[in-house]
Amino acid sequence: MNNSLLVVLVASGVVYGTPLLYGALGELLAERSGVLNLGVEGMMLVGAVMGFWTVQRLHAGTGLSLAAAVGVAALAGAAMAAIHAFLVITLRASQIVSGLALTIFAGAAGLSSYLGNDLNLADNPARHTFHALFPASVQRWPVVGPIVFGQNVLVYASWACVVLVWLYLTRTRPGLNLRAVGEAPGAADAMGIDVVAYRYAHTLAGGAFAGVAGATFTLAITPQWVDGITGGAGWIAIALVIFAFWRPELCLVGAYFFGALQALAPQLQARNIHLGPTVLWTNTLPYVMTVVVLLLVSTSGARRRLGAPAALGEPYVREER
Amino acid sequence: MVRPGGRLRIERRLRQPRWLVVAVPAGSLVFAFLASGLVLVATGHDPLSSYRQLLDAAFVNNGAIGQTLISATPLAFTGLAAAAAFRMRLFNIGGEGQLYVGAIAAAAAGLYFGGSGGPSAFAIAAMVVAGCAGGAAWALIPGALRAFFKTNEIITSLMLNYVAGYVLTYLVFNTESYWRQTTGFNAAVFPTSKPLPPSANWPTATIHVQGGVPLPLGAGIALLAATVVWVLYRRTRFGFEVQVLGDSPRAAQYAGMRTRRKILAVMAISGALAGLGGASQDGDFRHTLDADPNGLQKQYYGYAGIVVAALGRYNPFAVLLVAFLVGGLQNAGNTLQGADFPSGLVGVIQGLILFSALGGELLVRYRLRFARRAEATPVVEPA
Amino acid sequence: MRGITKRFPGVVANDGVDFEAAVGEVHALLGENGAGKSTLSNILTGLYRPDEGEILLYGRRVEFQSPRDALDAGIGMVHQHFRLVEPFTVAENVILGDHRGEGRSFRLRRRAIERRVGEISRRYGLHVDPRARIWQLSVGEQQRVEILKALYREARILILDEPTAVLTPQEAEALFATLREMAAEGRTVIFISHKLHEVKAVADRVTVLRGGRSIATVQGAEATPRSLAALMVGREVAGPERVESARSVGDIVLELEDVWVTGDRGADAVCGVSLAVRTGEIVAIAGVAGNGQRELAEAVAGIRPPARGSVRVLGRAIRAGDPRSAIRAGVAYVPEDRLGTGLAPSLSIASNLALKAYREPHVSRGPLLRLRAIRDRALELIARYRIAAPGPNAQARQLSGGNLQKVVLAREFSGRPRLLVAAAPTRGLDVGAIETVHAYLRDAAANGVGVLLISEDLDEILALADRVAVLYEGRLLGEFAAAEADLEEIGLAMAGGHDRR
Repeated sequence: MNNSLLVVLVASGVVYGTPLLYGALGELLAERSGVLNLGVEGMMLVGAVMGFWTVQRLHAGTGLSLAAAVGVAALAGAAMAAIHAFLVITLRASQIVSGLALTIFAGAAGLSSYLGNDLNLADNPARHTFHALFPASVQRWPVVGPIVFGQNVLVYASWACVVLVWLYLTRTRPGLNLRAVGEAPGAADAMGIDVVAYRYAHTLAGGAFAGVAGATFTLAITPQWVDGITGGAGWIAIALVIFAFWRPELCLVGAYFFGALQALAPQLQARNIHLGPTVLWTNTLPYVMTVVVLLLVSTSGARRRLGAPAALGEPYVREER
Repeated sequence: MVRPGGRLRIERRLRQPRWLVVAVPAGSLVFAFLASGLVLVATGHDPLSSYRQLLDAAFVNNGAIGQTLISATPLAFTGLAAAAAFRMRLFNIGGEGQLYVGAIAAAAAGLYFGGSGGPSAFAIAAMVVAGCAGGAAWALIPGALRAFFKTNEIITSLMLNYVAGYVLTYLVFNTESYWRQTTGFNAAVFPTSKPLPPSANWPTATIHVQGGVPLPLGAGIALLAATVVWVLYRRTRFGFEVQVLGDSPRAAQYAGMRTRRKILAVMAISGALAGLGGASQDGDFRHTLDADPNGLQKQYYGYAGIVVAALGRYNPFAVLLVAFLVGGLQNAGNTLQGADFPSGLVGVIQGLILFSALGGELLVRYRLRFARRAEATPVVEPA
Repeated sequence: MRGITKRFPGVVANDGVDFEAAVGEVHALLGENGAGKSTLSNILTGLYRPDEGEILLYGRRVEFQSPRDALDAGIGMVHQHFRLVEPFTVAENVILGDHRGEGRSFRLRRRAIERRVGEISRRYGLHVDPRARIWQLSVGEQQRVEILKALYREARILILDEPTAVLTPQEAEALFATLREMAAEGRTVIFISHKLHEVKAVADRVTVLRGGRSIATVQGAEATPRSLAALMVGREVAGPERVESARSVGDIVLELEDVWVTGDRGADAVCGVSLAVRTGEIVAIAGVAGNGQRELAEAVAGIRPPARGSVRVLGRAIRAGDPRSAIRAGVAYVPEDRLGTGLAPSLSIASNLALKAYREPHVSRGPLLRLRAIRDRALELIARYRIAAPGPNAQARQLSGGNLQKVVLAREFSGRPRLLVAAAPTRGLDVGAIETVHAYLRDAAANGVGVLLISEDLDEILALADRVAVLYEGRLLGEFAAAEADLEEIGLAMAGGHDRR
C-alpha cells in the first residue's frame, strides 16, 4: 500500500513542496506588508549555495553543521532581500524591476554561480545532510508512515512555520499592524505604525525564508550543489502565494499540490503508464490554475474578501498627494 | 514628514534638469563597475584584468562584435516589447513566453513555406508575420483579462511564460507533432525538432568594419521595429492616447479615449515584438525550433529584455543601444567560461548596473535635502 | 494656541493666529477654503510644526513631534478623508496602533476588544457593529468609527474636519447630538467648517479665520448667518452681487428626462432628475457635496451611463457611457477633480490643452500628430487666458490651482462647446482666480453657450445663475428664478427642505 501511486505522490509532494512552502511563506510576509519581491529565485539560490558552503567547510558534528548551515542560508537570503528592500522602500524604485534585477544578480548566472564555482562547491556531495527523523519501523506504517513520518526536520519545521505565521497574522497585534500596512499604509501611518520598519522587517524575513528554501535543495533533496539547482522553484513560490490567497494554511495545501504535480510525471514513467498529453497538463496545471484563481478574484465582490493586499506594489510616501 | 532629530528629506522635484537625465545613468554605470570591482577584489581576482577580458571578448576580439550582435538581437526584441508595454504602465512580464510562442508559429511557417535553395523572401516574410501573430496572440490573453476583468497582468503574463515553455518542450519531446523530426536514424531514439528548410534561413548582411561584421537580418528588423515604435508613440494619435492612459486612466476616460482597445492594442504590439524575437531565433541563429528545456528556455531573453528596457528608460533607440551593450556582456560571459574567468560575474555586473540605475532613478525624480531639525515642510499646497 | 504662524512656499497659511477652546464646549472654526483652518488643525494634531507661536494644553506648553505625540496628549482628529482599513472590522480599526496598556500586549484578544468597542459605541450612541467590516458600512457609519477611534484613545480634545461633507442631513443631526453630548461630558470639540448654518446649529463659540488670520470669536447664540458671512468674507454681504444680464435665452441645448444614475457603491445617486438648459442661460444646481452632483455631471458628460432616463444634447441623445459622443455633441466638462480627472499631471501643458482636440484635422493629419500645431495652439491659449506657466512644455503638475483651472477652461472653451458643465469650478481658488472664472462663465453664456453650473457656493450661484435648482439626495427640489430667489429658502432646500431649528 505504501507503494501505491497515491501515497508515493503525496509523500513526494511533501518533499518537493517543502522549498516551495518556505519560499511562499516568506513571500507572503513580504507581500502582506505591501512589497512585491520577484527575486525569490535569486534569494533561494544564494541561500542554497551558502548553506552548502557552510556544511562543507564547517568542522563540527552533523547537528551543529546543519543548524549553522540553515542559519547561514537564512542570513544570506535576508542579505539579498535587503538590497531589494533598500531600493524599493527607501529609494522608491519600481518593485518589479528591482525584483527582476535581484534574480539576475543573485541567480543562476549571477552571484550564486559565482560563489559556487569560486568556492569549488560543485561535484562534491554534501558532508552532512538531513535524514528522515523517525526510525524505519515507523516509516513503514500504512499511509502515514511515508507521508508524515518519513520526512526530515526541515519538513516538520515548515509545518511549525505555517502554524506560527498563521497565528502571527490572525492573533497578534504586530500581525494586525502588518496587515494594516499592506492594506492601507496611510491609515496605519496615521495610527502611529511605522510603515517603513514593518516593510523592511518583513521583506528581510521573506529573504530569510527563501534562503532556507534554497538550503532545502542542497542539504536535503539533492544533497549537492549545482548551478541553478532550484530550477524555477522561486517563481512557483510567487505563484503559490497568489494561488493561496495570501493565506499560510492554503500555502501548505498548494505547495504540496504543486510538489505532487512535479513528482507525477517521473512516477508515471516509472510505472510505464503512457504519458501523452498528461505531462503537459500536470506541468502547466499550477500556472493555469493560478491564472483562473486570479481571474475569479478580480471580480469586484471577491476582490475585497480574497484579494491581494491593497497596497501591494506601491511605494508608500507620506507627504505626496 | 516629521522625523525627530532631523534627517534626510526626500522631496519630489518639480523640474528635471536635462543634465541629470544623462549624468545619472552614466554615473550609475560607473558605480556598478566599481562595486563589482570590489566583489572581484574580495574574492581574489584582479578587477582590471577581468574587465579587460570582458571588453575584449565583447567588442574587441576578432568576431567579437558579430557574436555580440547575436546575443543582442533577441534582447533588442524583448527590450522593445517590454518598453512598448511599460510605457503605458502595462507590466507585461510575459515577453519570455511570447517569444516562445512566436518561435513556434514562425517555425511552423518556415517549415511549411520553405523549400530548397537560397533564402526565400516569401518564406521569411511568412515567418515574420507568424512570429508577430503568435506573440501577439499569447500576449492578448493577459491583455484581455486585464482589459475586461481588470486582472493583474503581471501575474497572468508571468504564469503564461511557464505554460508556453512547457508547450514548447512538449511539442518536440512528448508528441509526434509537426515540429518534430520523424525521419532519420536518431529520430526514434532522441527527440529533435525538424531543421528549417534552407530557404527559410534568414540571410546575413556584412558590414565592412573590422574585417567584416555579420549583421543578422533580425538585427536589421529590430532597428526597423524600434523606429516604428518610436514614431508610433511620439508622433501619432495612438501614441498620444497611450501617453495619457499611462499617466492618468481617469483623464483618459474623461477625454473619451477607448481604454480597453488601447490595452489590447498595446499588449498585442508588445507580444508581437517579443514574438518577432522568437522568429529571429529560429531563422537567424538556430535554424530550427529549439524546444530543448536547456536551450532557448534557459537564456531568459524575455526577463533580460525587461531589464534592458528599464535601463533604456523605455525609449526605443536607447533600448537598442542598451541591448547591444548588454549583449556584449552576455557574449563575454559565454565566451569566457572557464577556470580563469569567474563564472556568474556577468550576472553580478548586470544586476549591479541595474541596482545602481534604479537607485539613480531616485535622484532624477526627487531631490535630497538635509534638514537640520525636525522640519515639517510638506511639498503640497495647504488647504 | 498663541501667535501660531506657519509658512509654506509662496503662502502664509497661518499668520499669528490665536485660538483658544475651553473644556466642555463645542467650538467652531469657520472660514472659507484657503483661510487656514486645516493648517491650524494639522498643527494641533502634530502633522505640521509651527514656524512661530506656541501651543498650550491645560495651561502647559507642549510640542508635538509627530501625530503620535498629539494622540498621546489626548487630541484626536476625524479627518475629512477617512483613515480606515477597508477589509478590517470596526473593532480592528479602532484599536489599531494603540500602544497604551492593553495595546502593549502581543496577543490580540478579539472578543474582549470587540466587547470594549461595543461598550464605547453604545455609550455615545454611535451605533455600529464592532464585527462589521468597513466596506460594508455606509459613509455615516464609517465616520462613527473614526470618532470611536478618538474616543477609544480617550481623547479630551476632538477635532472634526468638515464632518458633514459626507453626511445626509439626518446623519448630521445625529452627529451634532453626539458632539453636544461629548462636550457635556467635559471634552472639547473643535468643529471645522465653512457652512454657516451648521456652525450656528451646533457651536457654543465660533472663531472666524480669514486669509490666515483669526478675525473674531463670537458666541454662537448671538451670531447670525449674515454676520458670520460678513466676517468670513470681510465685507457686508448685502446680497449676492448680480450682474443682470441682457442675455437672450434661446433653444434647449440640454434636456434631462427622468434621469437615474447609480453611484459607486451601487446605490442610486441621482433619482429621476428632469431639467432643461437653454443656450445663453446659466442654470445652477445647488447642493451640499455628496448629493449626486458628481454622478449627474458625469452622466451629462457621457462618462457614467444613466440607469434610466435620457440625456439629450441639442435634441439628440448621447450614447450612454461614451464620453466621446458627448464631446462630439458639444458638451464641455470642467470636473471637480482638476488634477486627477481633468488633466494628465505628468504631461505637458500643450498636451493637456490638446487632450480632447487631438483628433481634429488641424491638430492631426490622419494618424499622425502635428506637433508644431499643438505647440502653437498651446502658446496661443496660454497668452489668451494668461496662464502663468514656464512654457508649453512644462509639466501640468507644476502649475498652481488657479492656473490649472485656467488650462482646463481654456481647453474646454476652445472646443467651441454648446453646453458647458462646470462642477465646483472655483473650489480652492483665490479671489482673483474666482473672478476670472466667473467672467469666463458669463462670457460663455453671452456667446450662446448653455451653462450648467454645479456648486456648493450659494454666493457664486446667486451671482451667476439665471435659474437655480437644488439637488438633495439625488432629487431636484425646487427651481427658482435667481432674481427672485431667497438665500434662506434655497439654503433650506439644500438642507432637505425641513425647518430644523
